[in-house]
Amino acid sequence: VLSDEEKRKQYDAYGEEGLKDGHQSSHGDIFSHFFGDFGFMFGGNPRQQDRNIPRGSDIIVDLEVTLEEVYSGNFVEVVRNKPVARQAPGKRKCNCRQEMRTTQLGPGRFQMTQEVVCDECPNVKLVNEERTLEVEIEPGVRDGMEYPFIGEGEPHVDGEPGDLRFRIKVLKHPVFERRGDDLYTNVTISLVEALTGFEMDIAHLDGHKVHVARDKITKPGAKLWKKGEGLPNFDNNNIKGSLIITFDVEFPKEQLTNDQREGGCLKAPSRQRGCTDLSPE
Amino acid sequence: VRPGLSAVLPSAGSGQQSVTGVSAADDGNSYWRVRGRTAAVCERGRPVRCGQQIRLTHLGTGRNLHSHRFASPLSGNQEVSAFGEAGEGDYLDDWTVVCSGTYWARDGEVRFQHASTEVFLSVTGEQYGRPIHGQKEVHGMAASSQNNYWKVMEGIFMQPSEVFKAEQYHAEL
Repeated sequence: VLSDEEKRKQYDAYGEEGLKDGHQSSHGDIFSHFFGDFGFMFGGNPRQQDRNIPRGSDIIVDLEVTLEEVYSGNFVEVVRNKPVARQAPGKRKCNCRQEMRTTQLGPGRFQMTQEVVCDECPNVKLVNEERTLEVEIEPGVRDGMEYPFIGEGEPHVDGEPGDLRFRIKVLKHPVFERRGDDLYTNVTISLVEALTGFEMDIAHLDGHKVHVARDKITKPGAKLWKKGEGLPNFDNNNIKGSLIITFDVEFPKEQLTNDQREGGCLKAPSRQRGCTDLSPE
Repeated sequence: VRPGLSAVLPSAGSGQQSVTGVSAADDGNSYWRVRGRTAAVCERGRPVRCGQQIRLTHLGTGRNLHSHRFASPLSGNQEVSAFGEAGEGDYLDDWTVVCSGTYWARDGEVRFQHASTEVFLSVTGEQYGRPIHGQKEVHGMAASSQNNYWKVMEGIFMQPSEVFKAEQYHAEL
């Protein structure tokens, strides 16, 4: 039961990544896990006896990122203003608990009463403090991944502050659609290009151009695979997915005139815009 | 007073979750996220203009600060509640940021005017009894008063992007 509780705490605090890396919240916990509760201190740290240290709540914030940031990575500066427990003059009551007191009323007669017993602790007050945090958006990051900042969550006067976690939310992109590490996009070509071939450059997320050239017939719905032009893989940035381009063919909107039928349009070279203006050369 | 979300008390008027004011600075239930108005996309880090419409989404529950023509339970002003799922509600979630100057300054005082009914987000001190004893009623009021003014305290602030910082410099010249 103890080990499950420990793992759960780690998972809650650090996400899946933390579980793999084996982050520990305090030295004592790991020792207790292996050796059990012997009651003697490691380094005289009184904290270890009480495994249930009260903790402030975690704050989970959605961090919206663009597909461009997923491709190239980015650093986001964030200012955190939070209340921090600081020492104040005097004492306060803390760790209040109910205890049973036994008092003797006479020979062989006892009375048990419940009493509220508190410890005395140094007084604390909450002061607002500010610091700048930097969140790194790693290339290839996926929806739902979290970047935790330990102790930047809500404070707790009697214990530890909770954590601040940024949860990645990838925004929809107007041109590219993400599926895993692959990118999908649609390109419209003219009827002439579909029949006779074409050449074009597609602007990628970081601005570099992907060159596409076709000299054969391209049917509507045809797909072109460009290996290595997808998104970088999160675990290994050197591996990239593919870019899949789906071609749509644009047919002329109006009927062809007699002149056009004679062949003006088919002879003139045209680009992506296609033969919609259909003026004979 | 910090607006938080009371999970327990459904309001008598609408049955929606209540929004109450608490004084404690370490209440984790008091975080609200500033987002663009309904159906709009607001770029991360972009400063909020005075006069811009926004939504305030509660961090823990994903519900939006909401108001409608129902009476509030304690004072009889307009009820302010929490509405929606995962940040999506309806146009009654939209509030206009009222402030002087061009942008909502972090240390400035602002007012929130409900876009549809034009009341101001206010707290005048009425307190709830059990089970949320001591929490104050947050409601909408038509009249302007010092009870409508709000200031940002704790939070997580996204810095403006580099591009924007250059623009702002030009505006001030």
